[in-house]
Amino acid sequence: MKTPPSEKYRSNGGLFADLLEWLDARLPLTAFWRNHFSEYRVPKNLNFWYFFGSLGLIVLSMQILTGIFLAMHYQPSAAPNADGLPAAFASVEYLMRDVNWGWLIRTTHSTGASAFFLVVYLHIFRCLLYGSYRKPRELLWIVGVLIFYLLMAEAFTGYVLPWGQMSFWAAQVITDLASAVPFFGNSLADWVRGDFSVGGATLGRFFALHVIALPLALILLIVLHLLALREVGSSHPDALSIHDPVETGEIGSIPFHPYYTVRELHAASVFFLVFFAVVFFAPEGGGTLLESENFLPADPLKTPEYIEPVWYFTPFYSMLRAMTRPLFGIDPKLLGVVSMNGAVAILFFLPWLDRSPVKSIRHRGAVFKLMLFLFVLAFLTLGFLGTKPPEHIVWGTIPGTSAAQTATFFYFFFFLSMPWWSKIVPQAPKTRNLRFK
Amino acid sequence: MKIRAVPILFFLFLPFCGFGKAALPKAPDVRGKALQEGAELFVDYCSGCLGLSFVRRDQFAELGFSEKRIGEMMITDGYPGQPMRPTATREDQKLWFGAVPPDLSLAARARASEKGSGADWLTAYLRSFRRDESRPTGWNNDVFANVAMPHVLWEMQGAESPAADGRAASTRDAARAGEYERRIAGLVGFLVWASDPSAAFRKRVGIGVVAFLLVFSAMTLALKKEYCREIENERD
Amino acid sequence: MKTNRKTHRETDSRRRSLLVAVAITGGSGMAAAAFPFLSSLAPSARAKLSAAPVEVDIGDLLPGQMKIVEWRARPVWILNRTAEMLASLTEVSGRVFDPESKQKQQPENCENATRSIRPNLLVVLGVCTHFGCSPVPRFERGDGEKMPADWPGGFACQCHGATFDFSGRAFKNTLAARNLEVPPHRYLSENRLLVGENAKNIQGAKE
Repeated sequence: MKTPPSEKYRSNGGLFADLLEWLDARLPLTAFWRNHFSEYRVPKNLNFWYFFGSLGLIVLSMQILTGIFLAMHYQPSAAPNADGLPAAFASVEYLMRDVNWGWLIRTTHSTGASAFFLVVYLHIFRCLLYGSYRKPRELLWIVGVLIFYLLMAEAFTGYVLPWGQMSFWAAQVITDLASAVPFFGNSLADWVRGDFSVGGATLGRFFALHVIALPLALILLIVLHLLALREVGSSHPDALSIHDPVETGEIGSIPFHPYYTVRELHAASVFFLVFFAVVFFAPEGGGTLLESENFLPADPLKTPEYIEPVWYFTPFYSMLRAMTRPLFGIDPKLLGVVSMNGAVAILFFLPWLDRSPVKSIRHRGAVFKLMLFLFVLAFLTLGFLGTKPPEHIVWGTIPGTSAAQTATFFYFFFFLSMPWWSKIVPQAPKTRNLRFK
Repeated sequence: MKIRAVPILFFLFLPFCGFGKAALPKAPDVRGKALQEGAELFVDYCSGCLGLSFVRRDQFAELGFSEKRIGEMMITDGYPGQPMRPTATREDQKLWFGAVPPDLSLAARARASEKGSGADWLTAYLRSFRRDESRPTGWNNDVFANVAMPHVLWEMQGAESPAADGRAASTRDAARAGEYERRIAGLVGFLVWASDPSAAFRKRVGIGVVAFLLVFSAMTLALKKEYCREIENERD
Repeated sequence: MKTNRKTHRETDSRRRSLLVAVAITGGSGMAAAAFPFLSSLAPSARAKLSAAPVEVDIGDLLPGQMKIVEWRARPVWILNRTAEMLASLTEVSGRVFDPESKQKQQPENCENATRSIRPNLLVVLGVCTHFGCSPVPRFERGDGEKMPADWPGGFACQCHGATFDFSGRAFKNTLAARNLEVPPHRYLSENRLLVGENAKNIQGAKE
């Protein structure tokens, strides 16, 4: 793998160039630059949907940076301070008020978590649109789903840290899910919590997971994700099948640098514009980004009227709550846990469930478009219902639970029946209308 | 504008959405002198029982008080960095009221809901005390059922005695009612400030940041267009 | 098919100026973004305002006795100096680095021979001005094995050997080059001292 001497950087004079030559002789800088930027070829026709991957990297960096500075002042302790407020809760308010620019670091981090999920959901949606999970990208997809799992754990543990009412009760509800496991569920729940009920022990371990363990694991997986991507190359919006010459040559490719670096710079700039508009002018997001209930300190004796997770978890929370009746002899609580986890787990199998001869939505015909539309609708419905109490009535007539059950059913139906309906494609692909930005 | 853009727009606008119809009337916007009056009202009437543990005495200077005035205003002696703690102990309060009065530092943020902002809730709360002989204090509240707090501002609202209902008095005396509204607006405004003292600063900085990013985005767009003109002609 | 109407040079120069413009704007944006993070490391508003001033009862402090109280997480020594200790101050004037307390290590009402408000009561931070260890009292003249024979009495720091007299003035030829800091303080009454606040209109040492 050693770069031949003829390909190493040669300085033309000047301090900076000399330094670069010195470094390049000792590190694979030229190789890296060529392989990943100046000679890494990417399809010409990547559109707006393809930017969310790199935006994810940007948000990750932002979360790590703000997270480091938050961890300097945060206290992971549930013990009450002189005013009777938990130390963790008080330390977050200390950050918001007394630490110079602490309010900006905190709100960037809290808004960043939501931005991360928005970016990731749109990234996943792009994969559904263009069949990015199909061969040879199955492993890339699987690593991606693992990243999604870890991201959910990271967000959940992070949300518990401010130790507000919602933090505490969300922790209580979710750790209690472990008790749904038959036979040793209760011991398992105690083991997860570190105590018989959520408390200081839970907070301590969630802090360690959130600050070190999960970020390390996430970074490792993301590196794996990028390696896998480099190995197989990027998909593109006009993909027919893996045997399609378009996959390999007809579309044409361009070097990543300078064309995509320039485009992604612009994408990042627009993203920051929207992101910081929210951070500075609507940091609470009307209750979606910083829930008002979480401005009350955790009270183990008083359950809030509505326990609802942050918006990015609501679809799955809805599924958990929708299971109100036993099915196949399994009790509703376990059923809820199974369906909630199953909803994410089923994503792993997508590359093998999709039997369509074509990859991209541009060539898949009406059946796929309809199914995808209904799937998104079901997902969004579940998300919306998750923000409401279980008794909520939709449009004055449909009970929320029924709507959630229907949507959950369709969610699973979309995947489980895919091997059949995905085979339905138009007889001949439409004349390709290759569009370039 | 493809149909696919719809979900994106949904998520983008989510943070800026007010939620549905406000069930609570909107609290008025308060600044300047009114905020100072609200602060003084809080110190005079509320600070005996209710603390603002995240607000320190010297922070009152942000509202325009001089150091001298802060010293005069406070009921007890203290040093500049002292947090606003209630004068009664928590044990005593539990004994007297049955519940420890909550810390109000974040009340205006914690009471926000679909029905309205925290300020809306607080204003409605202060308006909604009514007599209820079944309660230990003789007072109940329409917005916060069975609250342990008595109606401290009964006289301001216009009742002749603590046993009389202030709201009835308000409807009779419009000037008094208007004065009460004005004063509680100031008090609520003060609590809003206390829950987020950096709000005004944040918005000012925000204007600069967003303006910068707009300019920068325009520049990166020009750069992008500059390079991407030649993509069609790129040979592999 | 090249349909470029512009010459190469114009394209190149436009491209370069755009790149430079973006680089400069982006770079200054990043520098501005770094500022809040760096600023957050500085002492916060809470740290600056610090803990409450400490009230000390000095009614029971006999001559020759020293009290140690904690203020801003540092030890404050309150020493009721005997006549002997005060006499030694003039004796050692030639041996200390800053006999007239010219360096601003004390509030203005302590810029006198005894470095104090009341002649007999020394109120000083027990923090060595070299690297911050806390010196120990060595009140005995020529303190046996621990100090040289001509030791007039005072304080000695065990970390690197700095020594201070009964006013907290640093001796010459030691690693400490500044006198011990006198904290803001004032007397509330005959027997009550408040450490942490100067009397009104008194300029502090380091504001």
